[in-house]
Amino acid sequence: MSESDSDEENFIRYGTPLEPFEEDEVPTKRKYQQQPDQYAVDEHGRRRFHGAFTGGFSAGFGNTVGSAEGWTPATFKSSRSEKAQRTNQRPEDFMDEEDRGEHGIAPRHMQTHSEFSGQKRTRPRQYHDGPIPGEPVLEQLVQAVHETAAVKMLRAMGWRQGQGTGERVSGQQKKRARDQHKVYGCYIPPEMRPVSSIACIIENTQTEDDNDSSSSEVDYDTLFAPDDYEPYILHRKNDRFGLGYSGLSRHSVLGNLVGEYGSQPSSSRSHLVMKEKGRKVSIRGQAFGVGAFEAEDDDIYASEDMSHYDFSLGGTDSKTDRKPVREKSNNVLEGFVKSSAPLPSVPSYPAPALPRDYRPAAAGARRSRFEPTDQPQRDQGLGRHELTAEARGALLGETPLTKQPEPSTKTIDKEEALLKVLGRNVNFVSKDTENKSIDFIPITDSGKELTKVFKPFASDRKKQARYERYLVDKAVVWERGGESDSLTEWEREREMVEFEQAAKLYKPLSGIMGDRFTHASEPDEALNPLSAVAKSSINYGLATREQTEAAARGVYGVMTRREAPWRPDSLVCKRFNVPEPGGVRQEEKKDDKPKVSYSIFSYMESSVHDKDSFTKEQSTFSGSKSLQREPPKPSQTEPTSNTDEITTKTDETMSSKGIERLFKPEITPTGFRKRLTVAELFLKESEMNKDQGKEVTETINKFDKMDLYKSIFLSDSEDEEPIPDKNKTDFIDVPKNVERNTSPPRGIFANINFDELNSWKRNDDKPPTGTKKDEEKIEEKDSNSNEEQYYGPKIPDNLKKRLEADVGDVVTAVQEIDSSSSSDSWVDVKEVKKKKKKKVKKHKSKHKKKNSKHKKKDR
Amino acid sequence: MSEISVLSTIKCNQQTIRSVRFNVDGTYCLTCGSDKKIKLWNPHRELLLKTYGGHANEVLDAAGSCDSSHIISCSADKSAILWDVTTGQPIRRYRGHASSVTCIKFNEESSMAVSGSIDNTVAFWDIMSRRNEPILVLKDAKDSITSIQVTDHEILTCSVDNHVRLYDIRMAKMISDYIGHIITYGSMTRDGQCYVLSCNDNTIKLFDKDSGEILNTFKGHECRDLRLENAVNEKDSLIISGSATGEVFYYDLISSNVSQKLVHGPKPVVSLSHHPTDCYLLTASENEIKLWGTKKMEL
Repeated sequence: MSESDSDEENFIRYGTPLEPFEEDEVPTKRKYQQQPDQYAVDEHGRRRFHGAFTGGFSAGFGNTVGSAEGWTPATFKSSRSEKAQRTNQRPEDFMDEEDRGEHGIAPRHMQTHSEFSGQKRTRPRQYHDGPIPGEPVLEQLVQAVHETAAVKMLRAMGWRQGQGTGERVSGQQKKRARDQHKVYGCYIPPEMRPVSSIACIIENTQTEDDNDSSSSEVDYDTLFAPDDYEPYILHRKNDRFGLGYSGLSRHSVLGNLVGEYGSQPSSSRSHLVMKEKGRKVSIRGQAFGVGAFEAEDDDIYASEDMSHYDFSLGGTDSKTDRKPVREKSNNVLEGFVKSSAPLPSVPSYPAPALPRDYRPAAAGARRSRFEPTDQPQRDQGLGRHELTAEARGALLGETPLTKQPEPSTKTIDKEEALLKVLGRNVNFVSKDTENKSIDFIPITDSGKELTKVFKPFASDRKKQARYERYLVDKAVVWERGGESDSLTEWEREREMVEFEQAAKLYKPLSGIMGDRFTHASEPDEALNPLSAVAKSSINYGLATREQTEAAARGVYGVMTRREAPWRPDSLVCKRFNVPEPGGVRQEEKKDDKPKVSYSIFSYMESSVHDKDSFTKEQSTFSGSKSLQREPPKPSQTEPTSNTDEITTKTDETMSSKGIERLFKPEITPTGFRKRLTVAELFLKESEMNKDQGKEVTETINKFDKMDLYKSIFLSDSEDEEPIPDKNKTDFIDVPKNVERNTSPPRGIFANINFDELNSWKRNDDKPPTGTKKDEEKIEEKDSNSNEEQYYGPKIPDNLKKRLEADVGDVVTAVQEIDSSSSSDSWVDVKEVKKKKKKKVKKHKSKHKKKNSKHKKKDR
Repeated sequence: MSEISVLSTIKCNQQTIRSVRFNVDGTYCLTCGSDKKIKLWNPHRELLLKTYGGHANEVLDAAGSCDSSHIISCSADKSAILWDVTTGQPIRRYRGHASSVTCIKFNEESSMAVSGSIDNTVAFWDIMSRRNEPILVLKDAKDSITSIQVTDHEILTCSVDNHVRLYDIRMAKMISDYIGHIITYGSMTRDGQCYVLSCNDNTIKLFDKDSGEILNTFKGHECRDLRLENAVNEKDSLIISGSATGEVFYYDLISSNVSQKLVHGPKPVVSLSHHPTDCYLLTASENEIKLWGTKKMEL
């Protein structure tokens, strides 16, 4: 203590002393203590990132001027003993070790090449075909160390390299699998399979031995792994050589491509080399084939490369050695072994027996398409396909063109040959038609003539003769026919059936059909497409004769006018701001849905629409008979004015019954198109009876009115127009509609448009149209007359009948108009029908035909 | 009657003008060219306002809507197109005809278009909805439809099958009249009581709608094989027809005399359109249209 005091005294003080530290005083400012972990430190504990430098290299301190070591500039030293090396400074020179570390900027560490890491699947690489074909040996030696996960998994499951995957199989199975190896192209039978070399033979024998041994060891139940899958790799053909020819290999002996490197850069890889521009093309490579003077032609199909050439001077000792050896060995081609098993004998089949009527013809002999075939016509289920042009003509009541018997194909006379040369159709245009005497088809032929003249088997005269005999007497045909002996029993039977069918089909139908057709108004110039289309104003838009006459006279008005109900779409009405007329719309909509009707009538119908019954009909089909057989469908009638219906009724079917039926309640216009159920029918009938009285009186009133109109409008025109007495007969005609056959036209009628035919006919024998308008008015009212519109007590039945008898004429007249005036609306009717028939699938195609045909006619 | 003279002539550069139509109030007109385009003009000022292109074949007829916001046109490409007037873009395309669509009309409220075609059908197209199929197809005609007129509740169709058919929506009736000649164009008088039918026997026939009787026949023009159109003037006093000789005939409706003959040019005048309320007439011949009238319209 004293010492210190003395020290204090001895020292001389300079400057001002610090203020004495007062112990109780709390220091206001604490010195900021930086935490050690806030410094970036390298692995050696040295501090990184100095100063403001906060990113990138930490070299700001490492090898720079400011560092502890200082910056040492690169020096250049070069002496005699140590020559200065040329040094390139790399960015790494300016980096610290850490930057080159694992997480640094330029990491430097050893990695397995991706090829060997097993991470990537190795693609099957194409090995260029060097001198050593196949996979390079080195490639096999240096195998990928790592395996894919799949391989590892397989390994874990017990798979070995070289084995196939899958269930273990027995030796036999394995062998079988090997035999059933998939082969593209022709499969060589196992006996004939080539074995490439003797070694293979040995192997073969070994496998056979194996086979034997395995068969002996079957009881051991040894299971083998299946064979490895060998991918079948198709090599793309990238040259234009012939198949199997590879040209001169572009690879030199050393394996590199010719002209790949080491030669001038200008040299192309092509074998064709342009020496001087546009001057000369030199071709290098090997030509294909063997020269004519070359003695040895053993190896022409071997793929050649340079190894086949001699590169040394000297004799051809090796070659001479080789050849005899080969020839001695087996007397077969190299790579082939003489098979021990004999070739399987080719089974020989006897030549097929020729059909009886086969006549050999030279292959080169040309036949015209239209030449008659001597073979019998194809037998088709339905007879109508056998209809020829003549047959159809006969059906139409045409007098067949007097045709000379067809000369057999062998003896075509000169004239015909000439015609053929001219390109004329020999068969269709016979010589008789040339004079054009028969331009139109006479339609009034009696049936008797037809049977005589018409020849369904005209192509085969013998057959025709037989047929004619058959027609005379059905039993006699086969007894005495000398030539019929040449026919087999089966043929006879078939012919018999054919004849039967033909006799039925080709029965003259003049009664039914004769009045359905009319002359064409214009000659058909179908043969000359360039002929101008003639303006035919006749029957334009189905105008009747009366109409055309009236128009020609300029008497327009009642004569030319025609009204038809037309139902605009509800949306159209809406858009035109017109209230929809009538409430019939809903009803029609209802009709769209196929209602399941349990009416008796539907059952009656079904007998016709069924497929079986249809075919039955077909088989027993004969003109009008089937129609007669048809059950009458009383409430099927659709008496509404716009429904013109097919009347395929013949006159003989007209019965008093039909007329009676006319006056039955069904005939009263109902506006219903659908079949009625029984319940509905009863309901309807009762209501009808109610309405009948009023209706009748109304019609009477109108009839009176009609007379009035007649006297006003038709005073002049009626005189000129003879009132046809037909009116009376037509009265009887009317029931046609009633008993009308609504089933689709079948058989030969399938393609005939009766609707059109009918309407045309009808238009002709229509009474003078003077009363028409009014009648139509009546008609419309009638058709519109729904039950609700009538009130009052129903008329008793007996009274009703009496009234009907009185008004009969009116009603029939009305009916008449129905059918005639409806030609306007008949597209609609068609549509309705179409709709109906869409349900019946089997008629669909027929209908299409029909419709299209109809359209054509309309044009 | 004051003298009618040419007020303006427009070369349309549309090859042949198939039809020329006034719009609803007669201030604009549409020309349908065989260059597949429709042009909207102000004929009084000879101004081209817009061109509507999009048809794939000759445009045969066009009509403007009642509010002049849409145009409907029909073409030989079997389709009809509804256009927006201002943008010139096609709004809807109606395909449904099997052949060239020869004539098209809007109904009174332009909520529906009625088109007639060579395929013998008349189709009703709903403009209001987005339906692309025709609502109704009339298949009564047995030959091509040549013209259509639409009134508030009737549709008059003329056909090559020599029939005129009047479809009355109110009565739910179709009245067909057999004329005996091919009817190239049918119009109705403004009182709606008569048909004016251009027939190819070089006549125009006036028919009473209710009875179907012929009232008058007008002769003087030449028809040849052309689809001549006719028109009725604003007062229903004159029948106007084009002619193959390049003239325009004015017939007196009552006396059937030729009251005036305008010479358009050497080429036939096929299409014409009369102003709905005033005495203006548009005629088209080859690629030019002419506006005829008594006085210039004050604009």
